[in-house]
Amino acid sequence: MTGPLLAMASVLGILAGAGLEGPWRGVLDVAGGPLRFTIQIQPSDQGYDGRLCNGSSCNLLSAIVVRDDSVRFEIADYAATISAVLRGDSLVGAYRNVGNRGPRTIPFRASPGTWPVTHPPTDLTGQWEATYQYDGRTSPRIFEFRDTPGGLEGTIISNTGDYGLFWGVTEADSFAMAHFDGSFVYMLTGMLDGDTLRGVFHAGLRTQTAWTAVRSRGGPYLTPPTELTTADTTAPFAFAFPDLDGRIVSNTDERFRDKVVLVDVFGTWCPTCHDAAPLLRQLYDAYHDRGLEIVGLAYEVTGDPSIDGALVRRYREKFGLEFPLLLAGINDTELAAETLPQLNGFTAFPTSIFLGRDGKVRQVHAGFYGPATGPQHTRLVADFHATIERLLAEP
Amino acid sequence: MILMLMLGLGWSVATGGLWAQAEEVTRERAEYRAWLEDAPNSPLAALAQRRIASRVVLGPPESDIPLPGLEPHTLEEGRLVRLTGPAGRRPLPRNRLLPLGPYRIFLSGARGRTVVTVYDSAPRPKSLSFYPYDPKLIFTAKLVPPKKSGAVRVLTVDGVEVEATEAGTFRVPLGPEGVDLRVRRIPDAGTEESELEIYFRDETNDEGTYPAGRFVSLRPMRDGRYVLDFNRARSPFCAYSSVYPCPIPWSGNAIPAAVTAGERYEGGGLEVPKPGRP
Repeated sequence: MTGPLLAMASVLGILAGAGLEGPWRGVLDVAGGPLRFTIQIQPSDQGYDGRLCNGSSCNLLSAIVVRDDSVRFEIADYAATISAVLRGDSLVGAYRNVGNRGPRTIPFRASPGTWPVTHPPTDLTGQWEATYQYDGRTSPRIFEFRDTPGGLEGTIISNTGDYGLFWGVTEADSFAMAHFDGSFVYMLTGMLDGDTLRGVFHAGLRTQTAWTAVRSRGGPYLTPPTELTTADTTAPFAFAFPDLDGRIVSNTDERFRDKVVLVDVFGTWCPTCHDAAPLLRQLYDAYHDRGLEIVGLAYEVTGDPSIDGALVRRYREKFGLEFPLLLAGINDTELAAETLPQLNGFTAFPTSIFLGRDGKVRQVHAGFYGPATGPQHTRLVADFHATIERLLAEP
Repeated sequence: MILMLMLGLGWSVATGGLWAQAEEVTRERAEYRAWLEDAPNSPLAALAQRRIASRVVLGPPESDIPLPGLEPHTLEEGRLVRLTGPAGRRPLPRNRLLPLGPYRIFLSGARGRTVVTVYDSAPRPKSLSFYPYDPKLIFTAKLVPPKKSGAVRVLTVDGVEVEATEAGTFRVPLGPEGVDLRVRRIPDAGTEESELEIYFRDETNDEGTYPAGRFVSLRPMRDGRYVLDFNRARSPFCAYSSVYPCPIPWSGNAIPAAVTAGERYEGGGLEVPKPGRP
């Protein structure tokens, strides 16, 4: 659909000149205030290329369609769009995707230029143990705040992983940081109150959850990722799925015999899986000669091998992955769990399953702390290396 | 200072003047109308909705859900929902629009109590009308926490059962003594989003609005209070199509006054839609 529209867009309107190129300060006006992000636009052969950015983390827009004084940013992965018209030098419009109880629409605006950089106070940076409170219930989260050259960055970590990179601004003891990737609309606002941090987590147009947080004491606060999912350890971990050429690859194949195997349960739709892929490549490079095999089990959106296969092939090329990637199923937690009956309590994408040389499960790591989580990520990388070293050393 | 200015800008956009509010309501109505007319999962495209219970057959005339042009298919719910048809047997994902011959299906609701909704290839036309915008029917108040917290199974606007939580009460100065409306948090499957909703009845029911009552969502303000704007009240999907079951009115939420704001009801929607091009 985008092809002909792009062609039609050519150089028709006001925006189609040089008007759209450069950084834009984007805002979604959610009920809790302005949710800030950046749109980066560059000219390309087809018209424009664009990226949605939260601080240093960006996602590619699938298409930018310009017509006269209006523009539509398409985010195909999430069947979402941002459409806007030019008002003065600003863009005004809406972010939309299809909901089941009505349209999911959030007002959008943008003006040319970059956001001012504000640095968080040292009283804020570091790790906090947060408690969400709603309707008489509570739920734990870890907040991580960092001062970077671009200003405040951080993330939110739950029992099943992190929410990706947040970027934001601070003013005295207050802060507001956001993550908008085209699908998830998250914002964290808060204020220092002595030793306590208090604020609101905003999701979508108007969901608000109050929270309080105290400085992390360094001890465990969330359920450790290795305790969320358990596995049958009495028999070898069995899998048999087609690779991208349609050949069945199974745990009994020669290539896995007497090897330490890391089974990566992932999906190309899963941003955290993209965070994990470079580490898998590094591990493969570092340990393959010593007896490590990696196999990726892809759970994709359609279940149609021709469509899913193309997405997984692109993912393999993007990250330069040399180990087999198999089409295991569709990205529904329940359905994926059914294809891996030896796992118990499977909830997270990605999930890393470490097998010993006997093919039996030694450890299951649910979720992945991406680079946005800072020290959590460093710790996870060290843990993965240590686990592999330990398993390689087993007789 | 920058943050204060930026927060201030968001504030004025969110709660703005009356004129801005009216304009926003007009825009929301246009969006909603477009969604009803175009969305593949519009309630105006719905042909059938029912709980799978243990088994539902779709296709031939004698099926639970007759669908012309569709080979026999069976949906069964055990630990997962599975579809059996000429192409074999496979488990289905939830909360996703799935093609089925010339139709589309959508599985929603709680596990073990899954509801299937079948959609035709295109929505059929239906007129939509609203009372004129009335700024007097907008109220701001605190949400009073519930005496007893807890979860409750309710049907939401699309006739699907969800596990909602009691979120408290919201007082509106309508009727001789005012009324405390029950508020429930309705979760949105697969996201961290939810809506604080009020399903209410008033004296316009059956006299201009849908007889079963209407839904309205609370809108949070920056100071911890909420706005209840009856201009944004909307009919449950059972007002558009008999495919959808109507939620049972929530106890206590009868307003002893005419709330002449928000969506009106002009009849129709109560006949059973026939599959095929509208």
